[in-house]
Amino acid sequence: MNRPILLNSCARAATSAEARFRINVPIAPSRGTRVVALDAGAERVVRRVAEQPWATARFFVCKSPTLLAQSNGEVADVGLLSTHGFESRLSLELAGADVAMMVASTDDGAYAARAIGDACTLRGTMTAGVVLAGGRDAGETVSALRPHARVLLVTYDEQDVSELLTALRA
Amino acid sequence: MLRRELNELLTQTGPGTPMGELFRQYWIPALLAEELPENDCPPVRVKLLSERLIAFRDSEGRYGLIDEFCAHRGASLWFGRNEEGGLRCSYHGWKYDVTGQCVEVPSEPDNGTFCATVKLTSYPLVKVGDILWAYLGDPAKRPGLPEFEFVHVPSEQTYTSKRWQESNWLQALEGGIDSSHVTWLHSGALKTDPLFKGAKGNQYNIGDLKPFFEVAEADGGLFVGARRNAEDGKYYWRITPWIMPSFTMVPPRGDHPVHGHFWVPIDDENCWVYTFDYHPVRALTPAELQAMKAGFGVHSENIPGTYRPVQNKDNDYLMDREAQKRGEHYSGVRGIAIQDASLQESMGPIVDRTKERLVPADSGIIKARQKLRKAAIALRDEGVTPPGVDPAHHRVRSAAIVLPRAESFLESCGDAVTVIPGTPQTSV
Ligand code: FES
Ligand SMILES: [Fe+2]
Repeated sequence: MNRPILLNSCARAATSAEARFRINVPIAPSRGTRVVALDAGAERVVRRVAEQPWATARFFVCKSPTLLAQSNGEVADVGLLSTHGFESRLSLELAGADVAMMVASTDDGAYAARAIGDACTLRGTMTAGVVLAGGRDAGETVSALRPHARVLLVTYDEQDVSELLTALRA
Repeated sequence: MLRRELNELLTQTGPGTPMGELFRQYWIPALLAEELPENDCPPVRVKLLSERLIAFRDSEGRYGLIDEFCAHRGASLWFGRNEEGGLRCSYHGWKYDVTGQCVEVPSEPDNGTFCATVKLTSYPLVKVGDILWAYLGDPAKRPGLPEFEFVHVPSEQTYTSKRWQESNWLQALEGGIDSSHVTWLHSGALKTDPLFKGAKGNQYNIGDLKPFFEVAEADGGLFVGARRNAEDGKYYWRITPWIMPSFTMVPPRGDHPVHGHFWVPIDDENCWVYTFDYHPVRALTPAELQAMKAGFGVHSENIPGTYRPVQNKDNDYLMDREAQKRGEHYSGVRGIAIQDASLQESMGPIVDRTKERLVPADSGIIKARQKLRKAAIALRDEGVTPPGVDPAHHRVRSAAIVLPRAESFLESCGDAVTVIPGTPQTSV
């Protein structure tokens, strides 16, 4: 059964010594991550995270009243307030974004989550959700976000927000 | 992406490293029980967490795991004679018992006292199920024995194999948490593998190629849920538990046995992959056992007399480009275990995680790394016992379940992911 078939193509080059011959070019950061806090508890965490240095990530809280008029009759837009204080809206921020990350600690942001989820589906933007369980029963928050976040992280550790963003090169 | 220091922290498990100390809090698989089949059988060289050891079973059936090298002038005790209650070095005849205590130095006078001062490092080695488990940590902190279900069901209900993987343990473990590769790399197996095919759940897998993921904390680690659309607006969930540091289970399929893995560092560039299959309430059938031994399911076919897979790095894993074209094996490599091994070994012995481009679907891996890092640092700085040491944390199961949309996978299937002895697995 010992049938070396591709020895001519350096199959044995997977050693640590060979690793130094790997092409080493700078890796581009992701195109843009938009982090949106859906409620007051989440806002506190997101504001803290926003103070760290990031490549292209931008951070927002949902303004109230959250939902703007349904712009095209299908998908609602959401008013956003950046952690730097400028006003924006979801439809603007999603242009050029890779990922929309929603952060929630209660189910208060259920409508906003739906609007963000729908808008992202329409544009083919990836969605992620972080539920800050904070020791409380997070069931309702999770149900509110589940349909709208392709990946949902339920955590007791608010550091996970920055942890995820770092891993994603945000 | 991980910073270089963090990659080193997580991948180095030798003595004195933070991750090495973390592993030394747990009982970990050291050998299969079949490797020491009878009293006075040949000793086995074992390298674990970068320590060279020798395992033997003495004339009374006691298991020993001691320093591989004789205290006299450093010859390997693998050449030794296992006889009359101890292992005798073949060079000058020094003899050791299972605790590493030297019990005879032939050049010294009879009844001399010298040998009492000679003791090799030794670790406890205990048989639980089909595995010999070792504990390489502080004796004062030795935890209760493992309570994973696969080592506690009757022996006819369980089967464990192992294979050598030529990569760091972490990239191997990450494969066990990474549910998103299954749809691609292993897609062929759902249709043809005797240990997978025929389950209703397979239809959901095939019908929905873009699962959603949910990651939640468990007492001993994590649960990673992958959900796909099922009929009538329901979700099909597949739930993978990870118990720290390196135990993972694959969600079941129909009434097939349930399987999982233990990923054990040999040194920083090699690991053992222990692979088990068990059924909580019935014996494995002869056909199932035969399939497992032949390398189907998540097992591997090994070179006889070794634990090195027949398909390995030296023969390009017997890559079959025709099978790749036909769509029989997505990558052209046969068998789930070797599909994983081939790609994980191809990353290099220790993958450079500073270069990764992770995506949100990798959240399970991201979270697992973070838990390992935090646990290693909390142990180093504050002596905190990590998750997964308490045997109660071991009593988890994987599950495959169809649930109404609004239900949270963990709240609705607490029972499904908990071991209830004598009840079948939750599976579709
Ligand atoms: S697609 Fe995941 S490693 Fe290449
Ligand atoms: Fe796999």
